[in-house]
Amino acid sequence: MTESPLGEEREVRSFGGIAVDGAPVAYIISLAGVVTVLAFIPLSVVLGGGSSFPMSQGVYPLVGWILGPVAGALSSSIGALVGALVAPYTTSVIWVTITSAIVGSFTAGAMVDGGPRRHWWIPLAALFTLSYLLYAGRAVVQNGVELLPALLGSFIDWSALLLFILPTRTLAARWIGSSDMRRVATGLFLGTWIAAGLSHLTASTVMYFIINWPNPVWMMMAPMAPVEHAVRSLIGAVVGSGVIAGMRAAGLVKPRWAMY
Amino acid sequence: MGDVLSEPSTAPVQLAQVSYRYPSARGFALRDISLTVRRGEFLGIIGPTGAGKTTLCLALNGIVPQFYGGKFYGRITVAGLDTLSVPVNTLARYVGTVFEDPETQLVTTSVENEVAFALENLSVPRAEMRSRISWALQVVRLAGYEKRHPYDLSAGQKQRLAIAAALAVRPALLVLDEPTSQLDPMGVREVFAVVRRLNRELGMTLVMVSHAAEAMAEYADRVAVLDAGRLVALGTPRQVYAQVGMLQGLALRPPQVTRTFHLIGQWREVRTPLPVRMAEARPRLPHLAAQLPPSCPPPPPPAEHQSPPQLSVRHLSHTFGDGTQALRDVSLEIRAGEYVLIAGQNGGGKTTLVKHFLNLLQPTAGQVLLDGVETRTLPISTLARRIGYVAQNPDQQIFSTTVQDEVAFALRNLGVPPDERRARVRGSLTAMRLWERRDAHPLALPRGDRTRVVIAAVLAMRPDIIVFDEPTTGQDFRGARAILEITHQLHRQGKTVIVITHHLYLMAAYAERMIVLRDGQLLLDAPLRAALREEQTLAQAYLAPPQAVQLARALGQLGARPMPWITPEEVAACFAPDGGRV
Repeated sequence: MTESPLGEEREVRSFGGIAVDGAPVAYIISLAGVVTVLAFIPLSVVLGGGSSFPMSQGVYPLVGWILGPVAGALSSSIGALVGALVAPYTTSVIWVTITSAIVGSFTAGAMVDGGPRRHWWIPLAALFTLSYLLYAGRAVVQNGVELLPALLGSFIDWSALLLFILPTRTLAARWIGSSDMRRVATGLFLGTWIAAGLSHLTASTVMYFIINWPNPVWMMMAPMAPVEHAVRSLIGAVVGSGVIAGMRAAGLVKPRWAMY
Repeated sequence: MGDVLSEPSTAPVQLAQVSYRYPSARGFALRDISLTVRRGEFLGIIGPTGAGKTTLCLALNGIVPQFYGGKFYGRITVAGLDTLSVPVNTLARYVGTVFEDPETQLVTTSVENEVAFALENLSVPRAEMRSRISWALQVVRLAGYEKRHPYDLSAGQKQRLAIAAALAVRPALLVLDEPTSQLDPMGVREVFAVVRRLNRELGMTLVMVSHAAEAMAEYADRVAVLDAGRLVALGTPRQVYAQVGMLQGLALRPPQVTRTFHLIGQWREVRTPLPVRMAEARPRLPHLAAQLPPSCPPPPPPAEHQSPPQLSVRHLSHTFGDGTQALRDVSLEIRAGEYVLIAGQNGGGKTTLVKHFLNLLQPTAGQVLLDGVETRTLPISTLARRIGYVAQNPDQQIFSTTVQDEVAFALRNLGVPPDERRARVRGSLTAMRLWERRDAHPLALPRGDRTRVVIAAVLAMRPDIIVFDEPTTGQDFRGARAILEITHQLHRQGKTVIVITHHLYLMAAYAERMIVLRDGQLLLDAPLRAALREEQTLAQAYLAPPQAVQLARALGQLGARPMPWITPEEVAACFAPDGGRV
């Protein structure tokens, strides 16, 4: 490296025609494929929503951290749509599944620690707060569910909302960008808990208005939902650590809004 | 049909002082390369692993640096277009690219859809598209296969399909990055024949990376030699391959015919320039035959192994779920300490056979026994301790995030104590020249290194029998020799070594016995030296003896005596003053 190259240094650009919001189309399609494949794998007992949830829910946030909020949401929604069509046993209502994928990836991509998109979390937090009020409010006020079962049954939703509003949002982002893979894995777990939790909140609110499940379900959800959500977060951490380590090592071009 | 190709206004390819560094790399992958590829030229590119060959190919279609990013210096113009200023999707109209593994490029469900894919993306009108599909498939001799699923084709056919897909765009330049490394000799001939036709009849400009020195010498107009990202030599095959010393210094291999004449030249008068093709060598053989001494040293006797059979295959047949008969009534025995080469055409049943050794496949009929015990009754974990298997595609065996974790993985699961585990990992990685890369992500390494990672992981298990499935694919000569030297060391330690490969020229110095499969049947099972001289039988399995064997036979016919030599060193040794050894 002591000698300079003879040629003149050129500006290297990635042309817009092959990227969406700074993420190469090849990445968007590849990760959509990952989401589709994971949609085949059911991971829970059938409860409120009427079908088991797919393993792909654990990687919606990861897609957002890799591609950014816009391209991530696009990739996840394509993957979720195809997954819902080819593996309908992990889907209750297709458009809710797709919305859930979009929210999971977009929210994750918006958990930035600075830059021009650092305020994107604020309208999202307002939206999720409204969503939670509708969800829990319908349970407690309209359906007469006692407060404690409602709080326990929606633990993953309000805990995710709280962690999203607090600085834990940016802490997770910093850890995901760390060079220490243990921190990356921890950040992925925490971040998946937050983003997938808010995705779950959005989907649950809609589903509750559609199905309006009976009150005993809230008590059943109380012990089970956190375990399921921990599994989602674990999937995000395990799959994400491998993918991020691989992408860093391979030295491929990094999407513009990537957080790793 | 030269008019069907996109006509550039200038030389198809011009590189001016090109240097390139990947984003996360410290060193340059390409360094100060200036080169012009002439219209209608077939330029071969050779160089050791890491020389920058693939990076150069990717630079020609703009993927480097547009996709990878990094630092780029100088200028590349292809068909008059600057590869940094023009998007990749526009460059794709002028540059067709074919990579090493055709399966990574096949994305549709029928042959004609595959050829149509790029045309659809380029909005070529339907009628024009049909015409081009028909033309491209005819050129690569796949007409009649339009409705076939690409995955039902042979490896050579898949590679020809990938070429057809690139060709249909009618590029000014076709770039082929090691398109023959995974093919059997017949597949190599098929691809080179197609490439030569494109070049000679259609005037297409070609840039091709290949380790197949004999074929490159036969077909290329010029050969460029890369080393550490720099262009170190450029000339006709005769000019380049005749520089045996330079090639050896770069751990590259000249054609066997060139090496043989080079070695003979140490003791006998050999006219220069050295021949690089068999056709150039033949007229010189009578002069050489006249210099043969009255007697040559006899070849070493075939190895004999008296131990009981370690692996026994008895009337083995295997039929896959789709009805494909992969093995038919195969019977053979392999004894402890043998070094066996299994060869044959792509799809001949070689991998299917060895997968039965590990119980990864179960016989449809017949038996496979390990030390007298049927393998289907043994758990795979037990077999894995006895038989190490290095798969054809190393990526199928890699899943850890660092090289040393990959090698340690199985040891950890077997409960090997930490101290011994560390020692074994270090020993294996050192043997495979990977210790310095122990913290790298395995998938960030070149294919040749990834193969060595898998071999290191298998070596660390210390099995009795080690099966290497195409271990030299994608390796440069140094890498291939390093792996085969490891197999040689293991053999000397008493291990049973089984190698599947098409690269017969590499195996002549290592294997003791050769098994040839054709269409799932045992075609030949003989000591290597005898097997390599069975030219007719080998041809039935789409194999050809190495050039050294052909030279020895021709010399023997001229001298009216048997010449059972199979390597350039053995042929040359016959000409040594003392008739001795090289």
